[in-house]
Amino acid sequence: MLQTSNYSLVLSLQFLLLSYDLFVNSFSELLRMAPVIQLVLFIIQDIATLFNIIIIFLMFFNTFVFQAGLVSLLFHKFKGTIILTAVYLVLSIALHIWVMKLRWKSSKLFIWTDGLQTLFVFQRLAAVLYCYFYKRTAVRLGDPRFYQDSLWLRQEFSQVRR
Amino acid sequence: MRSDPGLRAAPRPPRALPPVPSAVQDDIPLSRPKKKKPRTKSTQASASSEGLTQTAVHRPSENSEPLTKEATEHPEASVQRRQKKTRLPLELETSLTHTKTSSPSLLPNENGINTEPDEEAVIQKPRRKTKKTRPAELQYANELGIEDDDIITDEQANPEQHSMFTAPTGTSQPVSKVFVEKSRRFQAANRSQLIKTTENIDVSMDMKPSWTTRHVALSVHRAFRMIGLFSHGLLAGCAVWNIVVIYVLAGDQLSNFSNLLQQYKTLAYPFQSLLYLLLALSTISAFDRIDFAKTSVAMQNFFALDPTALASFLHFTALILSLSQQMTSDRICLYTPPSVNGSLWAAGVEKQILQPWIVVNLVVTLLVALSWLFLSYRPGMDLSEELMFSSDVAEYPEQDKGIKVCS
Repeated sequence: MLQTSNYSLVLSLQFLLLSYDLFVNSFSELLRMAPVIQLVLFIIQDIATLFNIIIIFLMFFNTFVFQAGLVSLLFHKFKGTIILTAVYLVLSIALHIWVMKLRWKSSKLFIWTDGLQTLFVFQRLAAVLYCYFYKRTAVRLGDPRFYQDSLWLRQEFSQVRR
Repeated sequence: MRSDPGLRAAPRPPRALPPVPSAVQDDIPLSRPKKKKPRTKSTQASASSEGLTQTAVHRPSENSEPLTKEATEHPEASVQRRQKKTRLPLELETSLTHTKTSSPSLLPNENGINTEPDEEAVIQKPRRKTKKTRPAELQYANELGIEDDDIITDEQANPEQHSMFTAPTGTSQPVSKVFVEKSRRFQAANRSQLIKTTENIDVSMDMKPSWTTRHVALSVHRAFRMIGLFSHGLLAGCAVWNIVVIYVLAGDQLSNFSNLLQQYKTLAYPFQSLLYLLLALSTISAFDRIDFAKTSVAMQNFFALDPTALASFLHFTALILSLSQQMTSDRICLYTPPSVNGSLWAAGVEKQILQPWIVVNLVVTLLVALSWLFLSYRPGMDLSEELMFSSDVAEYPEQDKGIKVCS
């Protein structure tokens, strides 16, 4: 059974990482006095996303559903989060590489092209969706039903099998 | 040391006597030395405790006197003797095997003078017994709820036997260890500790339902809803302020673009960043309200023109529009007059770039303001909370009531 204190701690960490992600997405364009600053911000952002993925998977492994072998049920319930997080990480890394490549010589350059703009829009939209789905999953995993056998779990499993 | 042989040989006489049940009065003194003789051992072992025994002397004497009376008055005592005789050999074999058997010297027992030092000696063993056994007995009795009679009355009922033989009292004690099955193995555990731990577990079990992970999740969800509610209003306000500033700086009929660019270039990126932050928060909050993850429900609500569903759609549209202006915002931020070399703003391009940008900003403002109105129409609506934790109602009926009352 998941301890309340442990869950609170993990949830705080997840929200901290999400907040950092949102902060960098919002203000990274402002904080471009030197290319190195943006580089560091982007690296930490990607690592934070990676950490969030690791944490959410560790939370999955901790559930009774996973330990009972019902991985498909878990994937079915949280496939949106898993897919979106993966997509967001890919988009983020791609955008960061592209932006840093263009801005490495001078941060004051106008680098925007249609391609970069499109990638930017998709990355930022994915960031919002990632935040929403990740937050929802983290909150949902606090449900004690995921950590014990119950009638609800059996019903869910039977629904998935259909 | 003289008393040794006498003491150790004392248990023997009963073996010779069994066939004489009528000699009750003779037996009585026989029985008395039996009590005393083992105790003399203790006096030899600790001869220094003579002075201490004064208070305790009464006990054996009190015990012995009623015995004589009983023996004289009630012939039933002889039956007890017989029982004693039957017990004696067994116990003696175990406890006194190493003693040298000498002639059955009954004389020192019969002599009152000789018995006195024995009585002093007698005192120590019962005292030791009481010291060692009684606290433990009481502890167990208190903790395990065993009645005192179960343990102590045996001693009091048959004082003769206990004064003589310590073994029976020892074996009748509740065992201090119990064997508990832990991980498919029986392990010894202390009773008192076990009881304490079980009490603690009971307490913790009682405490658990008060604040579970579910409550943490709910409180976090509600806290975020509060942040979202705040950001909705702030976003709408900021957007309105932004469009007002743009129109004021652009002048009548949007004729003064150069003034707008010069004044607004420092504001463009900060506002764009703030707008994204607030839009992101608001969109997440709006999605939370309609439980966007459950697409079917969200679509159903949208087509039913539910204000909250419409608001979340408007927020998402505003977000896309706002993001699409990132390039223009950067261009405004890097504005330099067309006369300057390397300027991004060629002469005559200003209107082409800025007019759609202003229109988009206006649309964003309208969308944000509309969605704020829609959301404030039903500020308490939160499908996420209802759907995510709805099935818990059956499992946690009492808690849920409590939570609803709180909310």
